[in-house]
Amino acid sequence: MEEWKGSPGAKPHAKRSWHLACKYKLMNQRALRKLCQTGAVLFLLVTVIVNIKLILDTRRAAYEEEEDSTQDYDDDMLDMEVPKQPANTRKVLDVEVYSSRSKVYVAVDGTTVLEDDAREQGRGIHVIVLNQATGHVMAKRVFDTYSPHEDEAMVLFLNMVARGRILIFTIKDEGSFHLKDTAKNLLKSLGSQVAPFLSWRDMWTFVGKKGGEVYGEKHAKSPALSTWGDAVLLKTEVHLTSLEDAECHWPNTELNRRRKTFCSKVEGYGSVCSCKDPTPIEFNPEPLKNNKVFDVPVAVIAGNRPNYLYRMLRSLLSAQGVNPEMITVFIDGYYEEPMDVVELFGLAGIQHTPISIKNARVSQHYKASLTATFNLFPEAKFAVVLEEDLDISVDFFSFLSQSIYLLEEDESLYCISAWNDQGYEHTAEDPSLLYRVETMPGLGWVLRKSLYKEELEPKWPTPEKLWDWDMWMRMPEQRKGRECIIPDISRSYHFGIVGLNMNGYFHEAYFKKHKFNTVPNVQLKNVESLKKDAYEIEIHRLLGEAEVLDHSKNPCEDSFVPDTEGKVYVMFIRMEQEADFTTWTQLAKCLHIWDLDVRGNHKGLWRLFRKKNHFLVVGVPASPYSSKKPPSVTPIYMEPPAKEEGAVAAPAVPAAEQT
Amino acid sequence: HVVKKFLGLISSQNIPVYLIDPLVLGLIDKDIEQIRTTSDGPSPECKYFCAPRDFTTFALLDKTWKHEVDLFRTAERMGFQWLRVLHKDPRLDGMDDLSGTEIPLHYIFKLASHAIHLVVFYERSGHYLWHGPLRLKQHMDRKFVPFRKLHFGRYPGAYEKPELLPVSLDDLKVQIPQNPSNFLEEIPHSRFLECRYREARAFFQLYPDDASLEAVEFRKRAKSLLHLAALTLNNLGVTFWLSSGTCLGWYRQCNIIPYSKDVDLGIFIRDYKADIIPAFQKAGLPLKHKFGKVEDSLELSFQGEGDIKLDIFFFYEEDDYMWNGGTQAKSGKKFKYLFPKFTLCWTEFVELKVHVPCETLQYVEANYGPGWRVPVRTWDWKSSPSNVQDNGVWPLEEWDEVIQTY
Repeated sequence: MEEWKGSPGAKPHAKRSWHLACKYKLMNQRALRKLCQTGAVLFLLVTVIVNIKLILDTRRAAYEEEEDSTQDYDDDMLDMEVPKQPANTRKVLDVEVYSSRSKVYVAVDGTTVLEDDAREQGRGIHVIVLNQATGHVMAKRVFDTYSPHEDEAMVLFLNMVARGRILIFTIKDEGSFHLKDTAKNLLKSLGSQVAPFLSWRDMWTFVGKKGGEVYGEKHAKSPALSTWGDAVLLKTEVHLTSLEDAECHWPNTELNRRRKTFCSKVEGYGSVCSCKDPTPIEFNPEPLKNNKVFDVPVAVIAGNRPNYLYRMLRSLLSAQGVNPEMITVFIDGYYEEPMDVVELFGLAGIQHTPISIKNARVSQHYKASLTATFNLFPEAKFAVVLEEDLDISVDFFSFLSQSIYLLEEDESLYCISAWNDQGYEHTAEDPSLLYRVETMPGLGWVLRKSLYKEELEPKWPTPEKLWDWDMWMRMPEQRKGRECIIPDISRSYHFGIVGLNMNGYFHEAYFKKHKFNTVPNVQLKNVESLKKDAYEIEIHRLLGEAEVLDHSKNPCEDSFVPDTEGKVYVMFIRMEQEADFTTWTQLAKCLHIWDLDVRGNHKGLWRLFRKKNHFLVVGVPASPYSSKKPPSVTPIYMEPPAKEEGAVAAPAVPAAEQT
Repeated sequence: HVVKKFLGLISSQNIPVYLIDPLVLGLIDKDIEQIRTTSDGPSPECKYFCAPRDFTTFALLDKTWKHEVDLFRTAERMGFQWLRVLHKDPRLDGMDDLSGTEIPLHYIFKLASHAIHLVVFYERSGHYLWHGPLRLKQHMDRKFVPFRKLHFGRYPGAYEKPELLPVSLDDLKVQIPQNPSNFLEEIPHSRFLECRYREARAFFQLYPDDASLEAVEFRKRAKSLLHLAALTLNNLGVTFWLSSGTCLGWYRQCNIIPYSKDVDLGIFIRDYKADIIPAFQKAGLPLKHKFGKVEDSLELSFQGEGDIKLDIFFFYEEDDYMWNGGTQAKSGKKFKYLFPKFTLCWTEFVELKVHVPCETLQYVEANYGPGWRVPVRTWDWKSSPSNVQDNGVWPLEEWDEVIQTY
């Protein structure tokens, strides 16, 4: 067995430098010679002893070192365990808080824990929560209370913080415009004297213990509407309590050990960290009988939105038939808090170092996550792909268990998705009904391994392409005419409002009123009829039975559809060729469903519900179902509104402009 | 004794382990017929587990268990000392910068003078089981057990997934591989090499990958050709390895070189079987040419789908080197490619468990010279390789036999 020869090489070098130093000094001070020599001898002796010990040690450890030198992948030797720093014995923290128009910062014991001087962002009230025993930052938030409803989010957050935590507040730019009385009163109850009188462009800092003492507060009034208050800097001291006092005393179980680790690190998760009556972190939902997706891996794609991830995982782990062993959470970046959430639930988490920017980064994260999923579960034929801003329906796995065989047996399928783009409160009705659509909705879907490995992975867009992965997957080169299976009523709910392509207005308009199934164990209807040829028969049957609506009426009016229930109606719209969606887009607009691009179509046919009746829309003459149109009916044509100068089709992202 | 106690521990935790101890399996293998047929009669003597040794080795499939903490606690209560070896997950190694939680590779449970070595096997892409190397970290007790005597863990290893057989041995119920002798034969040849993913990434930084449609298409075809070839040869029981450009692709970039035009495999001439040609033809790969003969410079080429060729080079062993031959069809010239001696290791390549020379660097350098790190697109098999030698000319009367093209 070969011996490790790394360390002895260090010896001569160290010796030489010592000698050089001695020589230099001797030129001037002969008196030091003796000392130097003794020193050198001593040093030599020590090095020799150290080295002998090292050699002995390494000889003993030779087994571990033996590795093919060219194949050395083991970093273990490098990350030697550093002894843990003894717990901070200091009882007092120095806290500095700065508030101004263009910059805020917070420093704890000289360490900057918040610094925001970026232009045109970070407006509002910044809140930091410290652990009262360790002084560690447990949460960091900013609430843009210049804008509406942000104060409500702040109240919600502050109410979730445990008693005894240290709260630090500071305003950047403007934080009072939409700070309503409820929020002001809450701040007052925390000990702030200024909060009730905070006004336009005031600067403000405050440090206090939740349910306890106030450590300091500073305020600078804005002298006039057009100017800001002077910058304020608050310096104060915070007294730490003992660790005992800062922790809850839950029974010592595996689950509670996880809970304790989590709750001592982060804040803002409400009752999961409640001492008295903590909410469970294990759910044990009913198992599914004959679960066909028990062994299907589930990849949860996450970024740095730990609160979303927390909500998402709760709903996922509560879904019937879930198998936690198969879940892997892929976190885009080295973020600690999402990983803490993953560990709280005892799941496997994988972090992914970001390699490119924005959309392309999300794409690369998706690719890495999918590849890793199939590496970790080499026997899997499918993977369920979820995102961190989804609620998962209680019968999500039941829905997949009943439908997944279609992916195996029908090659004309691209995916199964839990999301119906057109499934709004007023347009979706039947939890047991499935559709085939030519679009790829995402938002909770099943991917076939062979599709990924043989087609998608090899030509996945490279980072410099800056493409959205889902847009890319929807392109005809990838989809190749294949379709996805979707439910009428979605099995996922998109709750995220802070995302790359998301903002409050957008979410309100397009996602909030989406229907979400809450009924357990729904038995899907006639799944077999979703196969390629069977579906055509089914559609023809439906169209045959459908009553043709009165085409002289305005299709946007409610009265267009009679006040019945459970009937099937059909209308015909003009659609000159396959890509002519002019009338459809106008119709989608007035029906208040997804109109930003075309979704949910199957051969020029759309299926939805109106007033609890199945409502079919056929595009004539492009759709093969046009033949069902009675000769007397003229397809409805709806003209797009004349474009006004400078009008924007999609709502613009509200810019965080300086006030 | 210790084994019994351990099995008690394991079954109390519902952990399905199986016996892979080479010594005990060796004893079992001698009586395998008898063991298979006799059901639990009380055995007169302690025949298998009482053979003198320091360890007993068991295997565990990773996905069959999880409650580690409980296991350790119970083990401690029963008087076991334990040690666990963690490692980063090799299944994520090929990925851009993913870091997961570390995975357990080995456990050792010690009681008095005997120890149980529990090897964790992971299922990987390519339908095989993998176990990791046993490397101690700095803070671990190096004298916990005589680690060098362990049968598993000196290198990572790759194995077929065995069928298990529940048996009763010395009054103990255990699971063993259904065919112990097959498993025992695998052990000495199980060494596994991970692809050099870090170097591959560095390579692609220098020479960005070709993502054109043709490259994607070629890789897809080459991959399925390789899968088909592996299936065919494995069915015949013929050992083969990645050679030439395919081997270089694995070693340098962990992928198929998109401009390489063919798939290259090596086979030792001692493993040659006459069935090889018909087997490939049956698999839908017609013979394209056959050069040389079994006694000298044999080389087979099969036509794959979409203009991709499968080249099989037969390797001849001399006292201090190995070689394979080449033949130029139009001139009858013979060439000889020399390689330093090598042994075979397992690796994973395009979701396939395949052999490569363990001494890959020497192999690749012999073939491509010290500049193998730099991609070369124009390659002449008669002059470019650094290990090529002229080897005379086939006598005219033999041409019909040694130069067959279709």
